[in-house]
Amino acid sequence: MIRLDRVSYSYPRATSPALNDLSVDIPAGQFCAVIGANGAGKSTLCSALAGFVPHFYRGRLTGTVEVAGIDIAASSLAELAGTVGLVFSNPFNQITGARFSVRDEVAFGLENMGVPRAEMETRIDYILQFAGLAGLAERPPFALSGGQQQRLAIASVLVMRPRVLVLDEPTSQLDPVGSREVFTVLRDLAATDEATVVLAEQKLEWVAAFADRVLVLHEGRLVADGLPGDILASPDLQRYGLEPTRYTRAARAAQAAGLRPEGDTLPVTLEQAAEFFA
Amino acid sequence: MSGTYGLYVVRQTGIHRLHPLTKLVYVLVCLLIGWLIPGVWSPYIVLLIGVVPVALIARVLPEVIKNTIKTAIPFAISLIIVQGLFWTGGTIVRQLGPFSLKAEGLLFAIRGTGRIILAVSGFLLLNYTTRSDELMLALSQKGLPNSISYVVLSTLQVIPRFQRKANTILDAQRSRGLETEGSYLIRMRALMPLVVPLLLGSIVDIEERAIALEVRAFSREGAKTSLLVLHDTRFQRAIRWLLMLGAMAVIGWRFYLWLAPRLA
Amino acid sequence: MERLKRDFSTISLAMIPIAIAINIAVGQIVKALRLPLYLDSIGTVFVGAVAGPWVGALTGLLSNIIWAIIFGDVTNTVPYAPVAAAIGFLAGVFSKYGWFKVWWKAVLGGAITGVVASLLSAPITFYLFGGVVGTGMDIITAAFRSQGMSMLAANFLQGLATDPLDKAISFLIVYLILRALPDRYIDRFSRAEDVR
Ligand SMILES: Nc1ncnc2c1ncn2[C@@H]1O[C@H](COP(=O)(O)OP(=O)(O)OP(=O)(O)O)[C@@H](O)[C@H]1O
Ligand SMILES: [Mg+2]
Repeated sequence: MIRLDRVSYSYPRATSPALNDLSVDIPAGQFCAVIGANGAGKSTLCSALAGFVPHFYRGRLTGTVEVAGIDIAASSLAELAGTVGLVFSNPFNQITGARFSVRDEVAFGLENMGVPRAEMETRIDYILQFAGLAGLAERPPFALSGGQQQRLAIASVLVMRPRVLVLDEPTSQLDPVGSREVFTVLRDLAATDEATVVLAEQKLEWVAAFADRVLVLHEGRLVADGLPGDILASPDLQRYGLEPTRYTRAARAAQAAGLRPEGDTLPVTLEQAAEFFA
Repeated sequence: MSGTYGLYVVRQTGIHRLHPLTKLVYVLVCLLIGWLIPGVWSPYIVLLIGVVPVALIARVLPEVIKNTIKTAIPFAISLIIVQGLFWTGGTIVRQLGPFSLKAEGLLFAIRGTGRIILAVSGFLLLNYTTRSDELMLALSQKGLPNSISYVVLSTLQVIPRFQRKANTILDAQRSRGLETEGSYLIRMRALMPLVVPLLLGSIVDIEERAIALEVRAFSREGAKTSLLVLHDTRFQRAIRWLLMLGAMAVIGWRFYLWLAPRLA
Repeated sequence: MERLKRDFSTISLAMIPIAIAINIAVGQIVKALRLPLYLDSIGTVFVGAVAGPWVGALTGLLSNIIWAIIFGDVTNTVPYAPVAAAIGFLAGVFSKYGWFKVWWKAVLGGAITGVVASLLSAPITFYLFGGVVGTGMDIITAAFRSQGMSMLAANFLQGLATDPLDKAISFLIVYLILRALPDRYIDRFSRAEDVR
């Protein structure tokens, strides 16, 4: 579904590349998390998948980015809308403001694509239900809480039925309650096995909980690629400026104190931790 | 300034349910007639016949009156002073110290105030009874570019947030001891730290807002659809045509009045 | 035509609501400080500078119309929309000739824009509102009138008492903002090369 072949990219005035010789294949239906320290290139990768690199930011892109069979560089943003959905951190900036209710806001993208009204109705009903917003359908979008607004942003993009959904740290500007709301929706999405999702995220506990695969970026390079359990428990994590999850840290401390045997697989989620310490 | 729909006052009345263009054309024609027909009292007559009954049916008359008065009174005072007292020549009706009140100036002020009252109340009537998203949709269907409709509606919703932001910045700077009182110069110097953070922060937002629009197929060409539906009737369409014909007749007549003495 | 299409890009359209909100929010701050200024066209001037005369003009026009809807007052807003459009347009023209690159040129451009604004406002005030604006500024008009000056001239001078200074300061603030913004944010706009 997503194919990156030797992709490098530099922003217009940048002296060093933000993406450096990246190659990766992501099959349909996979929920793939991208982790990395600040400035590692996560957002740039998300932008490249949605076409904003290079069509919006300009700059120099080499190699090929292919999403759902479309060569991004040869396409345009207008064409890509509806094929790749992008959700980012700031909920306020993602709400168009041009629609006065949650329901109408979700409709905005469909209206632009010329979807007939009857079809819009069914698709919107379904997606509001999915995002847990059905009860808020008639509320003004800016009257919602941060977590609700972010779920609205996700719903507004999902309703367009993109082939790929890209999320760039969707909870980094939310409080813990809002974050949990958003992650619940993402977990449901991961559970469907139909959606192809790329999630850039710093909160590794959540990544561990439902990603099928984890990519680690470091200074624009792909430095690790594997199952969450392997990547997140790896001792290399700190080299890339990342903190292991609290479960891994606790397990390591336990090993260091001699409470647990060395060599056991380290836990990355609560469930695994329960097993580890059992 | 109330919530989402601009000035819209939620009421279940027939006027509220009318097609937005019907109300728009009606109000514009009222203004045109009131302003163009000669005579000191013509704006007041149009106001009483055209605006007040409709506002009454729409159950927004108290709001219309209250806010019209608020705007009109300063104008009335200014007009009476600037025109009534400083009319060149004219018949003196009363001497007020060094100034003299002139009849012609006073009549001019009365007519001018009437025009303002008519314009303000007509505008309020339209806005109190019409949701701005419906009005913009109606105008889009008549050929107004979708992008304009986006800009207007989005602005209406973004503004309250900015007003709150402005107040937050004001409070924050005050509590940090920034002088917002004192001489002009001191307050002038206070301006920059208040305004610059607001501007810089929001200009950075623009980029993300543009990206979010693109994601939602904003720049996609081709036919667009709408979730919102407007109810129009053949009767309303006929009324709109009649109103526009009437307006044109008034314009023609007024033009004739202006032209005839010049040709004679 | 190509140029115009680039000027009215998605980023320009996304900027207009923010610019208008800035106009209103800054206007509100200035009012709270009780300064004898308006500074309610900073957003419009910014748009004109980075996206050209036509987007600037549209911003000014819509700003006044939306101001009317927000505050429920058509009098000092909608009729002056052409003046607001002219301010955005002129900001775009001055920007095209690089006047936002040098602080004193920005100030001068603002002052000229202010004079043009007074020239355009006077006939509107005169023909539509019988020569008054319904604020304390009418005292100035009355004073000129009492000197035997014609109403139209009095209206023009009344505008001249505030507009050039107000617009000069607005242009200067936009100049400062353009200096303070990192290049990467300005790059995105269609007339970026004119202001850097
Ligand atoms: N619009 C831009 N113009 C120029 N350089 C940029 C731009 N956006 C990001 N960069 C630079 O590109 C590099 C990668 O940044 P990117 O935003 O992709 O990292 P990130 O992993 O998303 O970091 P964060 O966790 O802070 O969001 C950084 O060095 C950053 O400074
Ligand atoms: Mg990022």
